[in-house]
Amino acid sequence: MIEIKDIIEKYPREKRYTLAMLQDVQKQFNYIPRQALMMISEYVDTPLSSLYSMATFYKALSLKPKGKYIIKVCDGTACHIRSSMVLIDEIYNILKIRIGETTEDGMFSLETVNCLGSCAIAPVMVVNDKYYGKVTPAMVREIIKEYGGEKNE
Amino acid sequence: MIIKIDGKECTAQKGEYLLSIARRNGIEIPTLCHSDALPGIGSCRLCIVEVVEKGRSRVVTSCIFPVMGEIEVLTNSKKIRNMRKTLLMLYLARVPENEKIKKLAEEYGAVVPERFSADKSEDCILCGLCVKACESLGSSAISTVNRGVTKKVSTPYDEPSKECIGCGSCAYVCPTNAMKIKEKDGIRTIWNKDFKLIKCEKCGEYFATKEQIEYINKKKGFNLEDEMLCDKCKKKKAGERLKEVFEDYRE
Repeated sequence: MIEIKDIIEKYPREKRYTLAMLQDVQKQFNYIPRQALMMISEYVDTPLSSLYSMATFYKALSLKPKGKYIIKVCDGTACHIRSSMVLIDEIYNILKIRIGETTEDGMFSLETVNCLGSCAIAPVMVVNDKYYGKVTPAMVREIIKEYGGEKNE
Repeated sequence: MIIKIDGKECTAQKGEYLLSIARRNGIEIPTLCHSDALPGIGSCRLCIVEVVEKGRSRVVTSCIFPVMGEIEVLTNSKKIRNMRKTLLMLYLARVPENEKIKKLAEEYGAVVPERFSADKSEDCILCGLCVKACESLGSSAISTVNRGVTKKVSTPYDEPSKECIGCGSCAYVCPTNAMKIKEKDGIRTIWNKDFKLIKCEKCGEYFATKEQIEYINKKKGFNLEDEMLCDKCKKKKAGERLKEVFEDYRE
């Protein structure tokens, strides 16, 4: 198990590495634990308030635990027109999470993105790093099943 | 070097900021985020002026614009007034009940279109002056949190901050009086934290928090507890001392 300390101490004690540390912590834990923020603050001698400001500013950083699988539904123009909102509604029906939320079991998080550059296969959905194109509500159900969701039904 | 502001010839040093030159010469430029003690934010943009150089005009932010050559400045042209009007309309849309912004908006004839809705209790225009004050004084208890429409000024996790010493500088510098600071029965409440206020030994008025005194002692190696005086009484005491010295000298 990699600990926060190991991640932080890979970097020199300089303020300019703060964001890199935060990104690594985010990658390892799927969120930024409070303790990590405090440790980085001490390590690079930066006020906690400015780190908190940073952590809340970047979308890539989260202060709340994110799910193991992050579902990104594209809601750019092309996907929006091809009814990406229907996918979002379907995900809510299956997992009971809305945009920005995480399932109680910590398995899935739902986010929207503004464009994935794959407008030709709109609507697009991405789970972690896997892309799914021309997604229909029925496919959403199948995809979520692939990742072990919707077991109870 | 001589620059011309609204037709008036003003002497300026190279690199001096335009706003301070104008103010020194009695030319009023409206500002919100500017404080002489904490210059350089340049976020409110209300101090924009037109600079004419080599026959070309451009809009600059006067509080952070260093004068490098002989220029002509227009602080209140139609173009500038129009731009300020738009800025004030947006500010008013955000803080519809704020007296300061309301007054400025009226001066520039800014009216908020109906389609804009806002929280009526909001007074903060997010200029960042309070954050800078807190940082400059060394506490760094507050910062801007989130971004876009959810951006706000707060302490980490919206909790009472360990760093905050309750000095109230954030409230003191705030151009729109947005900071909620409460004082009751010798307790000051700010940023969800209570501070015990200390009375001046002489006049008996509350003048600082316990944490403030401790902070100054620690930082400067003083021992202020020997002399707990408010600034008015301190000034008076210094004046009296000076008088004594002066009288001794005359004798």
